[in-house]
Amino acid sequence: MLRGVLDLCLLAVIDEGPAYGYEMTKRLRERGLEFVGEGSIYPLLGRLERDGLVETYRAASKGGPQRKYYRPSSAGRIALALGVSEWRAGRDAVDAVLAPVKVEVAT
Amino acid sequence: MNEFVEQCRREWKRLGVSDPLADEMAADLASDLSEAEAEGVSTEELLGTSAFDPPSFAATWAAERGIIPEQRSPTNARRRPLVLVAFTTLAAIVVIISATLLATGEPRLSLARTTPPPGAGRTVISTSAAAPIEWILLFVAIAALGFSAWLWSTRGRSHPPTAPAQ
Repeated sequence: MLRGVLDLCLLAVIDEGPAYGYEMTKRLRERGLEFVGEGSIYPLLGRLERDGLVETYRAASKGGPQRKYYRPSSAGRIALALGVSEWRAGRDAVDAVLAPVKVEVAT
Repeated sequence: MNEFVEQCRREWKRLGVSDPLADEMAADLASDLSEAEAEGVSTEELLGTSAFDPPSFAATWAAERGIIPEQRSPTNARRRPLVLVAFTTLAAIVVIISATLLATGEPRLSLARTTPPPGAGRTVISTSAAAPIEWILLFVAIAALGFSAWLWSTRGRSHPPTAPAQ
């Protein structure tokens, strides 16, 4: 489930505007989501590209070298819409299950 | 280009990723790492635990992108050990059987079959010395075992790493 959600997050941030790898990482970080663990965004981007969910093009970044920019393809936008819908339904279901739990970790 | 990117480059070359694609990925990664470093973000922060295992990171990225040639793909790599195990087992069984037959002097696969002298009453099974098939089988099976040992050692040196889960 999480794997699909991470793909969804990447599609969401590039739907806001084309971005290269590190730029996507920054956009995710700004929202509090960090890809720390075994993976990183690169394999995910590779899979999205292989599956035809993103389009790429090369352009110079601001004052920097040529970068590979990603944006959702038409199939990617459909996948994003479907994924967001599924995520919201799943999130609501999980919320319904967890809502009665009274125990919380003291901070 | 930093050492991390260089190690990825070597892994892509080993996996058979084409040079233009490997160049592109290496350039993008190097640019990202460089920009991150300039902003005070470490490789570990950007790549997580992948930062400690460049070959695995590179292999995962290439596999997810679908740019590893078919004959090097993880699917074939997983299938190969099963074939090797079967081949090694068969060779070992043949060695054991032929050695046992030769040792006991009771070959059952003889090409030569002597006819008993008239009145002897039974067929005389040829002896080991007259039964070259066991010897041939033994030598062929030993050669096969040696070949499979070489295949195992080759595989141990070069099999691709398992792609980690995301």
